[in-house]
Amino acid sequence: MRCLLLTALLVAACSKGPDADLPAIGEARSLAAEWALVNEQAAAGHVTPTYARTMRAKLREQLQTSLGSLTQPKSEYGNEVRSLLAASGDASPEQLRAHTRALKRIEDSLESA
Amino acid sequence: MNPLELTLGIMTAVGGFVDISELVFAAQAGSIFGYALIWAFAFSTIGIMAFGEMAGRVAAVANQPVFNLMRHRLGLKLGLVTLFASLLSTLVTCAAEIGGLGLILHYLTGAPYLLMSVVSTAVVMASMWVLPFKWIERVYGLLGLLMLVFAAALVAIHPPWDKVLGGFVPQVPSSLSTKQLLQFGYFGVAILSAVMFPYEAYFYSSGGMEEKWGPKDLLTNRVTTTVGFVLGSLLAIAILASSAQLFGPALVGPEEPGTTALEAAIPFGRAGLLIALLGMLMAVAGAAVETCMANAYAISQFFGWEWGRHKKPWDAPRFTIAWIAFMLLALAIVLTGADVMTLVEYAVLFSIIVLPLTYLPLMLLAGDKGYMGQYANKWLAKGLGWTYFVIVCLAAAAAIPLYLLTSGGQA
Repeated sequence: MRCLLLTALLVAACSKGPDADLPAIGEARSLAAEWALVNEQAAAGHVTPTYARTMRAKLREQLQTSLGSLTQPKSEYGNEVRSLLAASGDASPEQLRAHTRALKRIEDSLESA
Repeated sequence: MNPLELTLGIMTAVGGFVDISELVFAAQAGSIFGYALIWAFAFSTIGIMAFGEMAGRVAAVANQPVFNLMRHRLGLKLGLVTLFASLLSTLVTCAAEIGGLGLILHYLTGAPYLLMSVVSTAVVMASMWVLPFKWIERVYGLLGLLMLVFAAALVAIHPPWDKVLGGFVPQVPSSLSTKQLLQFGYFGVAILSAVMFPYEAYFYSSGGMEEKWGPKDLLTNRVTTTVGFVLGSLLAIAILASSAQLFGPALVGPEEPGTTALEAAIPFGRAGLLIALLGMLMAVAGAAVETCMANAYAISQFFGWEWGRHKKPWDAPRFTIAWIAFMLLALAIVLTGADVMTLVEYAVLFSIIVLPLTYLPLMLLAGDKGYMGQYANKWLAKGLGWTYFVIVCLAAAAAIPLYLLTSGGQA
């Protein structure tokens, strides 16, 4: 039992490739969705301009971290995160949700592989 | 029993229940697993009610703070290990709270996050220096009641109440993959740890002694720990349920603590957002005070120093230096640039490991008729105490493997 656990932990710690990138892809997907929600609420006048600005900056900062943590940055999902980062701060919620869906599709296909 | 005092005590317990870890884990658990982890909050709340009541009763009857007991019950060596582990876990928790304060002020003002962390630490320390103990507790606890906006927001978005109520039934969703099951387990352990943080027992029992509780205060203790903690827990559950309704379908994680405030902004607009952020600010500030003081209480009680905020700072000099030093150390951790979410994860991870060592001596003493006489644990406290002790031990053993296997709850 202890050997199995140690092996599982070692595999979890040392793995590379799309499987190892899954947490970062999931994080990027969530950040894109949060950005879309913030922009939607900002457009409806439901949040203060300061909140919208600081949230966008924080989300972008975290996306940059997610991109940096990918073991395969030149992959389909790496390109998707880079394209998301290229979006303007006040990008439309629809545009950001398109990125969210694309990342979710990649996430699901890697999980089921 | 003074009804005003009792009401204030309950309201303080409600407002002071939620901290940065509960904010983060409630929102994430709701978005990922829908209503399926509501029972984990309800279940953990019964645990903290049982041990909180014991801590208050021991303070009132035996006049013994938790760390004094630990040293006598565990012996010097194991006592020192427990002290060190508790100080570390509570320090990381305090750092997470200070980072949380900096972030919330950053969302409110737009000023740099690290500068806001320094400013909030200075304000919190000034309040700890100036205010008497009772008012330190009450100011943050009562202003933390602004968090009630999350309960109002849940009602306003019309959630499926049958599913919310169904979440109170212990369950593991049957459709989960192995990875998701591990993630579900990680969140269950993290919620248990976040609700039952060891600092809460140190702070609550020491607070009872600060306020010179005696057997006459046992009813106040019981009502505060039951009614106050249940209502506080309902706030955390409201955050989870709103997240399940608003964030889950939108594929939001949430990865930023500020996202949680959107739960109130969506139904109530800017006013909702501001009330939510201010409530979060006060609740997290209260938790920062509690963690910092809990560490000062722990070290002072363990080494037999003079302690207490009811004394003038210079009448308990080592205690005063300890709380100032712990607050500054926590700020120093934040100033290294450590991510708040990472600090929150470490806080719950370290704390769950310390929990068994915190609650075992407390339970043994609360059941000792030599100390407690007629107020020793009866069948209900004994049953709950041992049940939760076993669960906490299992959770402590599972915490690190689950953390590693799920990359901190992410997959």
